Amino acid sequence: MNNWLNQHIQTLKLVLSRMRNNMLSTFMICLVIGVAMCLPSLFYLAVDNLSKLTEHMQKDTEISLFLKVDINPDAIKKIEQQLAKNQDIQRFHLVTKEEAWQQLQVKSKSNQDVNDAVSQLGKNPLPDAFFIQAKSSDPDSLIQLKDTLQHLPNVELALLNTEWVKRLSSLLNLGKKLISMIAGLLAIVLLVIIGNTVRMQILTQKDEIEVSNLIGATRSFIRMPFLYAGALYGLFGGLLAVLMLVGMIQAFNLSMSQIAHLYSNDFSLTLFDAQLFLTVMMSAIGIGWVGSYIAVSRAIASYKIN
Amino acid sequence: MIQFDKVTKRYPGSDEILKNISFNIDAGEFVFLTGHSGAGKSTLLKLIAATERPTSGTVLIANQNVNQLKPSAIPFLRRRFGLIFQDHKLLYDRNCFENVILPLRINGITGQEAAKRVRAALDKVGLLNKEKAMPITLSGGEQQRLAIARAVVSRPSILLADEPTGNLDASYAADIMAIFYAFNQVGVTVIMSTHDALGMSARQNRVMHINQGSLTEHLLKESHVDQALSSIERSTS
Repeated sequence: MNNWLNQHIQTLKLVLSRMRNNMLSTFMICLVIGVAMCLPSLFYLAVDNLSKLTEHMQKDTEISLFLKVDINPDAIKKIEQQLAKNQDIQRFHLVTKEEAWQQLQVKSKSNQDVNDAVSQLGKNPLPDAFFIQAKSSDPDSLIQLKDTLQHLPNVELALLNTEWVKRLSSLLNLGKKLISMIAGLLAIVLLVIIGNTVRMQILTQKDEIEVSNLIGATRSFIRMPFLYAGALYGLFGGLLAVLMLVGMIQAFNLSMSQIAHLYSNDFSLTLFDAQLFLTVMMSAIGIGWVGSYIAVSRAIASYKIN
Repeated sequence: MIQFDKVTKRYPGSDEILKNISFNIDAGEFVFLTGHSGAGKSTLLKLIAATERPTSGTVLIANQNVNQLKPSAIPFLRRRFGLIFQDHKLLYDRNCFENVILPLRINGITGQEAAKRVRAALDKVGLLNKEKAMPITLSGGEQQRLAIARAVVSRPSILLADEPTGNLDASYAADIMAIFYAFNQVGVTVIMSTHDALGMSARQNRVMHINQGSLTEHLLKESHVDQALSSIERSTS
């Protein structure tokens, strides 16, 4: 056991010292891996956060129920009772035409043109309205609820604006499929790159492999340093990818905070997405290992005795 | 220790290199393998070291049939041998110490024990002071001695040397021979191919001569050596 561990440590030291001797080319390889891992991760981050945002929006979706302008207070009471009885509704509130009118006047003060237009109106053109929040955020049940409310007496218009949310979420699903395709393609590219790099190393260490083979090294012994090299390329590449991701998220958050402020929304990306980073690292290491395994197995097979 | 029974070797697209060869080498023997270049000396050594497999016949090493060994068992068979090549096959990207330690790493020996054995091996071939030198800075004879150190460091029971003195001048060659005799004296079986066994032995040795794929054997006697030496002297004077 101790021997076994020792052998691995020795090999790791050997591989690390080789990498140190070829610092620049090692860095280049890791950079390629890093960038290749970075691309699908960024795409994933974008889609993931967008879908979180839409979920958030879907929850906020209100049904606006505009009542007829000439409705009397009794009829409003009646509708209110009906809304209170409806199981699908979480909460609702009434904005009377007077309140709405006041709000409009207050809000329009800052804008001269609108203010002029409002004051020229003279009388209140706004209807009474209920703003309703449903229990479910599922677009289909929202539409059903909207239809029921539309058919209540004295209701002028029930308004639900979920169409775009629906379209966006189906677009996001498409995006998720695209990510897995791009990630798959890049994984193949990485396999080829790492395999090729290890193949070049095998060429420069052909003598060592040949001599080791002649003096009784097992295949796993010969393979070990190359597997370590591949896995280390993956590890360093993955680390670079994570660093780049953190940098980009940080930069994005900085500019996003200004935009979000304008929309009075404190939306920002999580800086340390542990799950994503772990996935990036593990898949980089795994791809490195597999790539070098393929390369070194092919090389050993070509030195095989007859 | 090593038994060949009706062994024939043919490479694809060539004549038979070795024809129907049978012999038996016991533990502790010192055997010269002679013949012209291309007579099949290297092939015979490769068959012993299991880097080649016979076309027909059986090769037994320590009662193991090489033909029937699984590929995964061959590395362990090879660890019984110390291999010395005419072209040394040293690794020029590392120093002498690192070259010699390679077989120990393969055997899973590391640390202090390994360092001790490497120095002992280097000491035996007289290269202890060159431990940190790169092989490329050594002379031809020193490189060959380094290769011997690498071959013996894992204490193999059989040394296989393929023309180890082929590229060396007489005084270096004598050094190398002395080293081989020293190992033989402590019980190591030595099988050494050479194209001029006569010029290098002052003892009684078994000589296996390969000519056109067939084997003839005789004992090398001191009288032969004297004759050979005198004939060399005559031809050179």
